[in-house]
Amino acid sequence: MPRAFAEATGRMRRRDFIALAGGAAASIVPAHAQSLPVIGYLGGESPQRYGSRLKAFRQGLGTAGYVEGSTVAIEFRWADGQYNRLPALAKELADRQVSVIVAPGGAEVAFAAKSATTTIPIVFEMGGDPVALGLVSSLSRPGGNLTGVSSLSVEVSRKRLEFMREVRPSANTFAVAVNPTSPTSSNQLKNIQVAAEALGVELIVLKASTEQEFDSIFTAVNQSRAGGLVFTSDPYFAFRSQQLAGLAARHAVPAITQSRDFPLAGGLMSYGGDFDQSHRHTGLYAGRILKGEKPSDLPVQRVTKVELFINQKAADTLGLSFPPSLLASADKVLE
Amino acid sequence: MANPPVAARPVAPRPVAPRPVAPRRSLFTKYFCALFAAVVAPLLIAGGSEAWFGFHDQRARLNDLLDAEARLAALKIHDFIEGIREQLAWTVQFPLSENTGDRHRLDALSLLRQAPAVISLSLVDAAGKERLFVSRIGLNRVGSNEDHSAMPAVLGARSDGIWFGPVTFQYGSEPFMTIAIAGNRSTVGVAVAEVNLKFIWEEISGIKVGRTGEAFVLDQPGRLVAHPDISLVLRADETANQPLRALRDAILLTGPGQAATGQDLAGQTVLAAMAQIPGMDWSVIVKQSLAEAYRPIYVALWRTAALLVAGAVIAAMLAYWLTQRMVGPIRVLEDGVARIGAGQFDHRINLATGDEFERLATRFNAMADELSVSQERSERISRLKRFLAPQVAELVDRIGDDRVLDGRRVEVVVVFCDLRGFTAFSTGAESESILGVLREYYDALERAVSAHEATLINFAGDGAMVLLNAPVPCSDPALRAIRMAIDMQTNVQELLTGWRVLDPRLGFGVGLAMGPATVGQIGSEGRLDYTAIGSVVNLASRLCDNAEDAEILVDRVAAAEAGSSMTLVELRARALKGFDRPVPVFTPMARSSVASGPPQPADAETSNRPAMF
Repeated sequence: MPRAFAEATGRMRRRDFIALAGGAAASIVPAHAQSLPVIGYLGGESPQRYGSRLKAFRQGLGTAGYVEGSTVAIEFRWADGQYNRLPALAKELADRQVSVIVAPGGAEVAFAAKSATTTIPIVFEMGGDPVALGLVSSLSRPGGNLTGVSSLSVEVSRKRLEFMREVRPSANTFAVAVNPTSPTSSNQLKNIQVAAEALGVELIVLKASTEQEFDSIFTAVNQSRAGGLVFTSDPYFAFRSQQLAGLAARHAVPAITQSRDFPLAGGLMSYGGDFDQSHRHTGLYAGRILKGEKPSDLPVQRVTKVELFINQKAADTLGLSFPPSLLASADKVLE
Repeated sequence: MANPPVAARPVAPRPVAPRPVAPRRSLFTKYFCALFAAVVAPLLIAGGSEAWFGFHDQRARLNDLLDAEARLAALKIHDFIEGIREQLAWTVQFPLSENTGDRHRLDALSLLRQAPAVISLSLVDAAGKERLFVSRIGLNRVGSNEDHSAMPAVLGARSDGIWFGPVTFQYGSEPFMTIAIAGNRSTVGVAVAEVNLKFIWEEISGIKVGRTGEAFVLDQPGRLVAHPDISLVLRADETANQPLRALRDAILLTGPGQAATGQDLAGQTVLAAMAQIPGMDWSVIVKQSLAEAYRPIYVALWRTAALLVAGAVIAAMLAYWLTQRMVGPIRVLEDGVARIGAGQFDHRINLATGDEFERLATRFNAMADELSVSQERSERISRLKRFLAPQVAELVDRIGDDRVLDGRRVEVVVVFCDLRGFTAFSTGAESESILGVLREYYDALERAVSAHEATLINFAGDGAMVLLNAPVPCSDPALRAIRMAIDMQTNVQELLTGWRVLDPRLGFGVGLAMGPATVGQIGSEGRLDYTAIGSVVNLASRLCDNAEDAEILVDRVAAAEAGSSMTLVELRARALKGFDRPVPVFTPMARSSVASGPPQPADAETSNRPAMF
């Protein structure tokens, strides 16, 4: 058989050889596709819940010049709401030696990514103050392998109480929904309590860290005759805006959350950072890191836009009316 | 008689001289250089000036462009600030009082909605008390009555109407600025707004010069306030932004409206222009990478260079072609002339250039023809010289044409002369004196012969034969012959007076006759003679023999010919050997007189009957 091969090659002309070499080159192409830079995308929820965020993320990536599938590949890991699974998923991505890990959707995701690697660049997206949380050493010079985008959602949770009070000026008691598993919960709670004192209202703190506990929160609000329910900023809540809106309507509880998805799904109000903007910036940063910039050179960006969405229909259903100050402040009044 | 065959033989050419060493500066080099320079120099000048002016124009255009963009950027930022100022002015239109508080609150809330850059706003009344505070992040306050009268913002706004605070970086990252504005009347309060300067990004990132050119804003101390790459602003790193401050300083040095070159943060060399934002001490700087800015020039330069190279190549080819056209024929001419000079007269210079060269070649060819003919002739003559009597050969040489020697029948005058008693003298005298006598004798004869354009056919001992009208025709040959004979007599008689000391019997006689004779060259391979053949020769010879010393005997034909111009005396007819009847004989008068004088009448002893024919 080797002899036959030798004879065959001996007979081979140069042209044949070139044709063969060309064929070999063509066969490399799929291998090239595998050599695209890979983004490891760590999601705390399911792709469905992340839909609008992913869209904004891909937009930002596009601004940096990357298109999924042709110039960059994205490896997804979804925790489907079980945030305790995040560290393991982050580890998987780190072991895959992806070019960059994108950890959007809250401090839990960012911490999971941070714990997985100290070398692979990480771009986070979250609501709290990353310095206070110990994620980075400073906003301007994050240091290490982390940078990202922080929205003002956590900082403005006290404003939600203020807005709720404007809707229910006669009420003295308000309920606050807190996810105790969230790294920012204690900070937010403190913040809101200070605000409550300033506003001269009582607070009832209700805790929920699973979907099963949601219903009892609304029941508790009604039982305590609180003027309204204020949700602290928390991705677990934010990603379940539709569910919360449904519960709020069912229990006829005036509520305010951080996400615009809530009033869009029939909830009363929302006040918080613009997800589109923060996820777009995340995509842009991921792109810049792919291009070779170091995360330590990229300052943590704060998305300064905070938006107030109010739902007139929900107010009507609840028998409430928005005061002029709210109407004047609202970025969007849903009719 | 035909030309000797030797003359027809082609001349054996000498070898052509080797081409002379190449000239120090050949015509080819000179013309090539000149033509090349004539084409390339204008190209170079045109290309160079195009590059120079293009560069300057582009620099000026860039300067204007960057200046305009900087002004535009300054205007945009000014508009941004102005927008906030106008919004703020609205909130301090009416005095703050207890009852109008709610209205102010709504105004303030709508301001926050309409001016996203404003993070918080506080309204301070005329007394300096804070009446209202609204914020996007913090809680709103109504009627807190905090004393803000000593705040720099409030004081500044009260004195100047508007006050811009220094740029501060919140959390060491985000640029903020306080803007305070006072109402028109003193009763109206002051609005103090906290502005997030990140929002200028939208204005500044919209400014693009070319592909990579961009704008940025520095505040008075040189901190980066706005940049298309927001992360540079958020980094709030004054040390890292040092190049940008250096760039600003460079522009300040060049003067207003002028762009300056410097380095940007990436270390690229950039061209940058600056504009101040009206009413603020911020500078907007617009920069563009020099490499990009000058790319059109570089492209133009490359194009020019390519054209230059192409032009130079064409010029070189043209110059080569032209000089080749010039030098080629010159080489052919040179070669031809060298061959002709070497004796190859049959060589023809073939040039069909249709110009002066062809004419010159034709001239050279004609010259070669002429040379060939004259060479042929001189060859022939030199050959003739070897065979002919030197005198005849000399004659032919003088005339330059040996055709005179061709055989023909012609009317000639034949003159014979010889010394009397020479044989006797020669036997008795010493050879030295014999030769001396002959030398003088020949000399005397030759003088006379050449004086009368006669041809000395030969010397034979003491005798000589002279021919007139052949080979060279002449007028009045008879008269000439007689005069020559007289001169001969005169010359020789003079000599004879001396010679008679040696031998008293010596004398000299001349005889001449005229008549048709066949003349031409006769001879063998080794010897050629020109001579005349005919009875007239015999007659002349007999007459010579018959002549006494100092006597000239002329035949009847010659006498008749010369008779009109010269007086001849008929002597008694002589019986001559070979002639049946006595031959009438004439002699010029006063033949014994000196040649200088005119012919004298015959003396009494002889018949003085003039020849009358």
